[in-house]
Amino acid sequence: MEIQYPFLNYESHNSIHLKSSVWKILAMLFAFIFIQAHDGIAQGKQAISGKVTGGGQPLPGVSIVIKGTSNGTASDVEGNFTIEAANTDVLVVSYIGFNTQEIPVGNKTQINVALQEDAKALEEVVVIGYGVQQKKLVTGATAQVKGEDLQKQSTTDPLQALQGQAPGVQITSSSGQPGESFRVVVRGVGTTGSAAPLYIVDGVITGDISFLNPADIQSIDVLKDAASAAIYGSQAANGVVLITTKTGKAGQPAQITFDTYVGVQNVARKADLLNSQEYATIMNEASVNSGGLPYFTNEQIATMGTGTNWIDEMFVEDAVTQNYSLGAQGGSENSTFSTSFSYTGQEGIVGGKDLSNYDRYNFRVNSEHSFYNKIVKLGEHLNFAYIENNGVGVGNQYNNSLRAAFNTSPFVSMYDENGNFFDNSNSTWNNGEANPYAQMVYGNQNRRNSQRLVGDIYAVIEPIKNLRFRTSLGLNYTASEYRSYTPVYRLSIYSFNDVSRVSQSLSKGRTLMWDNLLSYNYTLNQNHYFEAMVGTSAFKNDGSSINGGNVDLIISDLEHAYLSNATNTNGTNISLTGAPYSADRRMSYFGRLNYNFKETYLINATLRADGSAKFGSNNRWGYFPSVSTGWVISNESFMANTQNWLSYLKLRGSWGQVGNQDIGYFQYLGLISYLNTNYIFGSEEGVLTSGAYPSRLPNEDIKWEASEQTNFGFDARFFNGKLTANFDWYKKTSKDWLIVAPILATAGANPPYINGGNVTNKGVELALNYSSNIGEFNYSVGVNGAYNKNRVTEIPTADQIIHGDNNLLFDNSLEFYRAQSGFPIGYFWGLKTDGIFQTEAEVAAHTNAEGTLIQPNAAPGDVRYVDLNGDGLISDLDRTQIGNPNPDLTYGITLSGNYKAFDFSFLASGVAGNQLVQSYRNQANQFANYTSAILDRWHGPGSSNTIPRVTLDNRNWTSFSDLYIHDGDYLRISNITVGYDFGKLHTKSYLRKVRLYASVQNLYTFTKYEGMDPEIGYSNGFSSGIDLGYYPRPRTMLIGANITF
Amino acid sequence: MNKLRNILLLAGMLSLGACSEDFLETEPITDLTESNFYQTSDDAYKALVGIYDGLQIIWADGVSFPVASEILSDNAFGGTGNSDGFGYQAIDEFNILRSPSDQNLYGGNWTAYYRAILRANTLLTKMDQIDWSGNEALQTRYEAETRFLRAFFYFDMVRLWGNIPLLTEPSRENVPQANPDDVYKLIAEDLVFAAENLAATSYAAQPTNERGRVTKWAAEALLARVYLYYTGYYGKADLVGTITQAQALAYLEDVIANGGFGLVEDFANLWPAASVANYAGEDNKETVFAIKYTYTSDYDGNTDGNHWLVMLGMREQFSYPYGNGWGGATVNPKLWNAYSANDTRRGATIISIADEGINFTNQPKQREYTGYYNKKYTPMVDEEGNSIAVNNGATNFMIGQFQDYVAIRYADVLLMAAELGSPNAQTYFDAVRERAYKTNFTTISVTKANIMKERQLEFAYEGIRYWDLLRQGISTAAATIAETTTVLNGGTSVTKTIAADKIIETQGLQQIPNTQITLSNGVLKQNPGW
Repeated sequence: MEIQYPFLNYESHNSIHLKSSVWKILAMLFAFIFIQAHDGIAQGKQAISGKVTGGGQPLPGVSIVIKGTSNGTASDVEGNFTIEAANTDVLVVSYIGFNTQEIPVGNKTQINVALQEDAKALEEVVVIGYGVQQKKLVTGATAQVKGEDLQKQSTTDPLQALQGQAPGVQITSSSGQPGESFRVVVRGVGTTGSAAPLYIVDGVITGDISFLNPADIQSIDVLKDAASAAIYGSQAANGVVLITTKTGKAGQPAQITFDTYVGVQNVARKADLLNSQEYATIMNEASVNSGGLPYFTNEQIATMGTGTNWIDEMFVEDAVTQNYSLGAQGGSENSTFSTSFSYTGQEGIVGGKDLSNYDRYNFRVNSEHSFYNKIVKLGEHLNFAYIENNGVGVGNQYNNSLRAAFNTSPFVSMYDENGNFFDNSNSTWNNGEANPYAQMVYGNQNRRNSQRLVGDIYAVIEPIKNLRFRTSLGLNYTASEYRSYTPVYRLSIYSFNDVSRVSQSLSKGRTLMWDNLLSYNYTLNQNHYFEAMVGTSAFKNDGSSINGGNVDLIISDLEHAYLSNATNTNGTNISLTGAPYSADRRMSYFGRLNYNFKETYLINATLRADGSAKFGSNNRWGYFPSVSTGWVISNESFMANTQNWLSYLKLRGSWGQVGNQDIGYFQYLGLISYLNTNYIFGSEEGVLTSGAYPSRLPNEDIKWEASEQTNFGFDARFFNGKLTANFDWYKKTSKDWLIVAPILATAGANPPYINGGNVTNKGVELALNYSSNIGEFNYSVGVNGAYNKNRVTEIPTADQIIHGDNNLLFDNSLEFYRAQSGFPIGYFWGLKTDGIFQTEAEVAAHTNAEGTLIQPNAAPGDVRYVDLNGDGLISDLDRTQIGNPNPDLTYGITLSGNYKAFDFSFLASGVAGNQLVQSYRNQANQFANYTSAILDRWHGPGSSNTIPRVTLDNRNWTSFSDLYIHDGDYLRISNITVGYDFGKLHTKSYLRKVRLYASVQNLYTFTKYEGMDPEIGYSNGFSSGIDLGYYPRPRTMLIGANITF
Repeated sequence: MNKLRNILLLAGMLSLGACSEDFLETEPITDLTESNFYQTSDDAYKALVGIYDGLQIIWADGVSFPVASEILSDNAFGGTGNSDGFGYQAIDEFNILRSPSDQNLYGGNWTAYYRAILRANTLLTKMDQIDWSGNEALQTRYEAETRFLRAFFYFDMVRLWGNIPLLTEPSRENVPQANPDDVYKLIAEDLVFAAENLAATSYAAQPTNERGRVTKWAAEALLARVYLYYTGYYGKADLVGTITQAQALAYLEDVIANGGFGLVEDFANLWPAASVANYAGEDNKETVFAIKYTYTSDYDGNTDGNHWLVMLGMREQFSYPYGNGWGGATVNPKLWNAYSANDTRRGATIISIADEGINFTNQPKQREYTGYYNKKYTPMVDEEGNSIAVNNGATNFMIGQFQDYVAIRYADVLLMAAELGSPNAQTYFDAVRERAYKTNFTTISVTKANIMKERQLEFAYEGIRYWDLLRQGISTAAATIAETTTVLNGGTSVTKTIAADKIIETQGLQQIPNTQITLSNGVLKQNPGW
């Protein structure tokens, strides 16, 4: 049988051998199933007719299918249907929002079906802190995304899969490199410190979740408002992300699943740099504009060819991504289990597998057992991940492998005549620039592996009915090992290394959490429901690290890069450090009271007290209260007549406070530092005497940062649950920020953290979902969006500003972002421009009200800056907000549908209203290459009013202005998947599901931004959206299978 | 079963309550705290070394004092790369409008000086709580060294900025700027204490592994320098009532008579790039006090190197033995022309691109190119062009330079003594000149004008000239420094103007970092003209 599979039609020479075995397996499966599928032959049929109703009303569009076949029909507008069936057949009657019924035909010719509304949607539970709650009774603002909706995205990292699916949760990849972290912001940035939420996996605080396989996740619940998060008091100021991994269910038949996908990744859009001829032309023009002579004659330019395209050199084609997961779960009456083993591999599109790669092995086992008539339950969660990864530089301008490609001229060759990387030291053009690909290769010879064990052992005791005691011991154990190697090389007069270097480091740490909960619930007079819970949690983190470095390897390659292979004995080149982690301790007490009357009037109150070792004994404890209420209006009698279109409506309101303790340790103590404190006495170089000095001032009064949030919202279900709507309005005020407030230099030491500064985030979130069917075509459309407005309201320093860092955009570049009262946090601070001077007359006409010439040194082609304060000078006083890195709007669109065995899904996500700073070029370097955008520069009156002339001193670019600012709006089609489940055609009981699918990730991005990727997660301090040469997210085409036995 | 239930319930209740405040008590493992340090004399020594470490760092960031002193003087222009910011031009021309965005030209220095001062002030306040175990002589010595270093820092600062907050003990308060007289009074008292309390060990008798420590001679020599500057710049008769001219001279005569110092025979041998194989070495007999550097700087927090030397090297091009650097403080041709061709100091002080036949091709990258670079403080390379610092194991040529900064040379002691009216003035003066001119030496009379001229030639690029000009009065300094000339910016000839009125407007003082003024909420006042 010939199988044409449209997604196989791409070239993948580099990786085909890796995948060939997978192809074979998949092809065999196809063949097997198709043959089986054509076995069934109908016999002895008769016409059956009937009517489908729901809630007494006729239901149109109900699917009626003969079980085990694809034969079926749908009810008409009156709910009537007819179908041909044999008396041995079974009709499967299904409709969105109602329970599916199976009806044996038997001798009947008339079958009327009354479908029951599916109460499951309402009975669904969501995970809240230290427990679960029925969705219909939730009074806080939470968002839940099901594991299957994550797994559908076929991503390496679960956070990437979450992108666009949870309103109010902004997720941005910090780099397209495999294994790099995601920047997650819940309801706007509320701090100048880390804005990352608290991650809790099966009750254990983990710091991040990238180590998890998405296939292991049952659900992700995000606690967004303070009332929901307050039960986690400490660290909850940025929101809480709760991850529940899969568990078995009591009485569930054993089930084995195998999931796999294989795909190839390519860069979606490349930056276009100048080729040799264009570059030479621009350099000539820059020289002439700067009063010099052209560097090249026209004849030289005509014969020089195009040179090296460095962007092309940096990327590889068809980098492989793949995943294999084998899982099993099931349960008897007293025991349940769920286990899985998986491998995930992703190669990087920059540099390929040798330089940028991520391999992860996950092992999970969760089980639970009941004893003594179910009075005692014992169980455990255990997630183990082994990760090997290596990567190229994706950090700041000095640690960014791609950036070098933007700045190297096309004149530099890739290889010399012997096939070695070209040494540019003898270049007559610019012997300071070096082959960026070779720099990436030489500079990123490293291997890292890390292990992580996250889990707990728990016991639940229910000695009296409804009185439950739960104790758990959680563990988050991490270990990692890193080696790097730098060979001897010479690429230019500045890029060289004369001795082979090796470094090796090891670290390990563990977090222990001991949680104890006591809860009791009871119902009074059948109408009053109470649930009370008190608990304690102790948190302890310890660990240590050691690292060493040396030079002169006896065998100089990465494989042999171990300290024992280094032969050098000169102490100057040997580094050796080792230190413990600062001991982290927290102790918490908390309680929660839930009450509802007839499931209509809901109230929930929590209080948590947290003690943290990060604060001195006077301020050690923080107290975090919250209260939330709900009113299920649809339960009221006066709403009875709306039931036919509005089946459920709940209004919610909440208020609460949560905390943040994300600061370094011992801020309350004055520290004496002796690290790196040396002086040389005598004439023997390198011989040091060590000293000590007061390095940091204490702040005995440092205390918890607080975030206070008010939330109002509603949850509604319309048209028998076809349409659901969730809406929230919130105001989040973060105050008493933990900041390093600049202190007067006369104090003479590093400033401690202080409390101070407020920022307000206000916004709305809306999620709509519509599910219905047209005959057998079931579909679902979801949109969600969040609008957020961020304003800093107070900074406790004299100038009311927290200043951003220097030296970020190019060598010696100045401050360009700030946190300042009245502005969004991290706003871009620079000069406004008003076009380009076209003529000398325009320069002369650029005066202030008093007639002072504002830019006396400007020439035609230079940027006209706006003299905002009218003082006749362009200075810092003219700088203002010229951009905002925080998006106004983040949104997602999901579509899914299935028809018979086919399924389809679509996910798009986007942001709007934010700006990006693009700085690819080192403006301190007159010879750095440009992108082809410079071809539209000013080169004579009328030639451009947006891009200034080129000069050797880059004078139009050395001041930060709106020339750097670009709109960051985008809408990305993140995932389109088409699948076909052969299991639905085929009734063999041992194969419940055989779904094959094909996906495209990052299919297309709608954006005006002309960089390689508008989703710039690179951040510095409290600002973000800074494109210094960003490792773009790949476009991935993959095929996969989900098989359930 | 009921028993089991009760036990379980009890266990549950107990575990809920299990906690104590002790659980949250932790302490730092790899740092000490103020409460457990400053206990023993060994702690005191470590704290003292910490102050020397502070001395090593004052110029690691910002604009180094010696580089600024040359740019400000008539010896040098700002220079630097042709596409760099114009901060050095703003300094050179006393004109912030040359680079309005440079609001914190000396920000790094201001911070580093006060860091070093905190280290000194903290140790001084802890002296009495330290258990000296009967070794009170050690206490006196440490106190004397600490006070010398504090005086050294304040003397730099009060010369650069004129108006600075004066802290004699640790403080986080918003301290306003002090009257300069108060600063000089503290400097004088600190130096007198050091001069009176440090041992009179002659140069030859000093243990070689203690070279670089503060000596009695360093304190005495610095006192004389402070005396000359203060009385000159402020037009006073003595050093704030503490030191008279006679006392200042007496200190110098003590250095000359008992210090055991001498002039290195060849002037060129004082400077590694001018002598290469014949270099007299660090801590030679002419070094009265030096800030010592070595090549162990890295980007992990070790700041041991001479981070400012790279500013003075030729712009991005080496020519053995001269290394590449950033082309700052290009030599004003007036300085080259001030030397007689017979003066050995000319060739030892200045690299003349033309005279040495150097094939310098990097003019497009050099701002304010004059054809001359300084030779006293310049990075060095081997014959293959590899950085000597890197050859020794430095991280790189920018932070790994290890040439010490010789703050006070014996030649300065001789010339100051001559200037202060020593009976041996002519002898001292001739000794310095005789070394410079060798066989071409002819004596000239020891007048104030001749001494000042000689000081320029002797100490060019050692961070002295500008202060020698200022102490002759602002108007003299302004008239000497101001000029209109042409330089090559990126190979293109441009007019360069240093206006006398800007020098007078600023009184020769420098910009106070504007971030500090902002942070002080206006308690700190900017100097005029900035």
